[in-house]
Amino acid sequence: MHEPEPELHIEVVSRSARHLKWRALDPLERVLMWISGICLLGFTLSELGDVFFRIILHPWLNAQEFAITFFIWGAFLGGATAVRRDTHFKISAVVEKMQGRRRTFFEVLRRVVMLIVAVILVYQGYINYLSGFGSFMTPSGKPIAILYASIPVAGALIFIFVVEQLVNGFRNGYAPPQQAGRETAAILAEQALERGI
Amino acid sequence: MINNPGLAILFMAFVSVLLGYFGVPVAFSMMAGVFLTVVLFTHISLASMVGQLFNGINTLNLLAVPFFLLVGELMLTSNITIRLINLAQALVGHFRSGLAQVVSVFSLFFAGISGSSTADVVAISTVLMPEMKREGYDPAFTAALVAAAATIANMVPPSILAIVYGSVGNVSIGGLFLGGATPGVMVALGLMIYSYFFGPVGIQKSRMSLGQVAIAVKRAALPLVIPVIIVGGILTGQFTPVEAGAVALVYVIFVVLPILNRGHFRVLAYDFILAGALYALPITAVAAASAFGWVLAFLRGPDVVAGWVQHVSGDNGTKILFLIVVILTIVGDFLEGIPAIIIFMPLFLVLQKLGHLQPVHMGVCIIVTLAFGNITPPYGLALLLSSSLAGVPWPRALRASFPLYIVFFTIIAIIIFFPDVVLWLPRWLFPQSLGCFPSPTGHGLICPPV
Repeated sequence: MHEPEPELHIEVVSRSARHLKWRALDPLERVLMWISGICLLGFTLSELGDVFFRIILHPWLNAQEFAITFFIWGAFLGGATAVRRDTHFKISAVVEKMQGRRRTFFEVLRRVVMLIVAVILVYQGYINYLSGFGSFMTPSGKPIAILYASIPVAGALIFIFVVEQLVNGFRNGYAPPQQAGRETAAILAEQALERGI
Repeated sequence: MINNPGLAILFMAFVSVLLGYFGVPVAFSMMAGVFLTVVLFTHISLASMVGQLFNGINTLNLLAVPFFLLVGELMLTSNITIRLINLAQALVGHFRSGLAQVVSVFSLFFAGISGSSTADVVAISTVLMPEMKREGYDPAFTAALVAAAATIANMVPPSILAIVYGSVGNVSIGGLFLGGATPGVMVALGLMIYSYFFGPVGIQKSRMSLGQVAIAVKRAALPLVIPVIIVGGILTGQFTPVEAGAVALVYVIFVVLPILNRGHFRVLAYDFILAGALYALPITAVAAASAFGWVLAFLRGPDVVAGWVQHVSGDNGTKILFLIVVILTIVGDFLEGIPAIIIFMPLFLVLQKLGHLQPVHMGVCIIVTLAFGNITPPYGLALLLSSSLAGVPWPRALRASFPLYIVFFTIIAIIIFFPDVVLWLPRWLFPQSLGCFPSPTGHGLICPPV
């Protein structure tokens, strides 16, 4: 087999469903993507530091705290970013096959559900965040609110991205032009490829 | 306030499935089902449910998931997978239906690196599918075979399903890794045998000389060390599964890439960014599914289902396992493996006790069944992806995959009825994973009775 030349992909902001996005929010997506990468790098280094310092018999006691902090922030922020990139796992593409008013109804319904979940994450997450000042991580003794804060922040970001899609969907329509007449399987497969796993 | 827990469970499941069917992402449809059920049927506060989302992922073992995703991503984007394909070609390319044999063997190699079946499908599709088309393979057969072979990634180490199962169910991840290796190899062998007898003939190639095989082995040696690092590190007690993932990543960045594809460093930051965003997807599903599973357990769902199962199968472990496999074969058609494991874990634990099942054996049977869900209708993701990449309509790919189901049914039946097929490797290499410990007399091991 020949070894094909590696392709360079350097586009950080997702190009899919552009008609549902404001260009003004592209920098936010770019920043969130970078933060996700930095979180991944952060907990990678924390884990490696943990192994290294254990091997040289000077254990780094806070390593796992650092690792879990990066991990949880990365997971919730990444989960919020995935709403804008539309890469979350889905089990059906039945709505993508619809047209006209029916499609609009289900697209709006989908986003209203996500909006309600986002509001709950913000409000109830904030309550958790406040209660988190009464519990502490070991061994640092820092309040666990540092971790809990990721939930309302993610909820707020999800709220912004869903509102962005709702407004642009009403203006430009929800169906991307390239989806017309395509098989459900092809749409689902494309979504799987887009998210990469 | 909870007059009818059964009704509450049905309501929660119905809302989640209905919203999922209408395209609400799985994590959000589950959260919506949980929040609505909690408000309507229980006195639990929404704040505690949101806290449950957090608790579900506040587990160190889950850190292994992004490491293995990133290692797979790096192997894929840096084009190093081609070396593994060439090795598979050198080993089995001369058999009848040679390229189909290469797909099965490559999947086994790549599965030992990535742990993600989708990455496997993409890796094969970009290189092998065009070759198979040139040699006249039916695209529907190609799509079915690629998807079936890609499921091996869910079984052999570093399977992401095994990491999640081990973390949530408190089962040894090392034990699940080793236990899953035999079924993974069996699937590869099963697909090779099927291709040999029933696959297209392909273009007959001559057997490569020993020297050519040696060159292919040498060229693929560096990436093939990755599974050795992962499994070896865990078995020797040097690393936890999470640390093994981190060390494998360091090995790829500091050894494999500089030697095999130095140019890839230009886009390394992009790989980190992409993998950083990527790992959030299964982890968000884990968070939502853990809240779902918690409410299910609160409503005593596992006890109710366990009662039904006991009514049918008594406390016979084999029958219970068989019933679990039947249930998961149906559920796995509609639900991804990771959320399925988390939602049903409370039930698995109750049934494990009821049937006195060995946790590693039970875990491997469940993982293999869920891996099979990747190629079953209506939403077997690996098959959806491979049919799309092969440019063949999904129903045709599905029809071509039906004969391959026999391979999976046979292997699942074997591992249910003969637990030693799963347990021999962990018992031999990592007996602690089965609950064994060295005898105080200094001779042999003492293992819990199963």
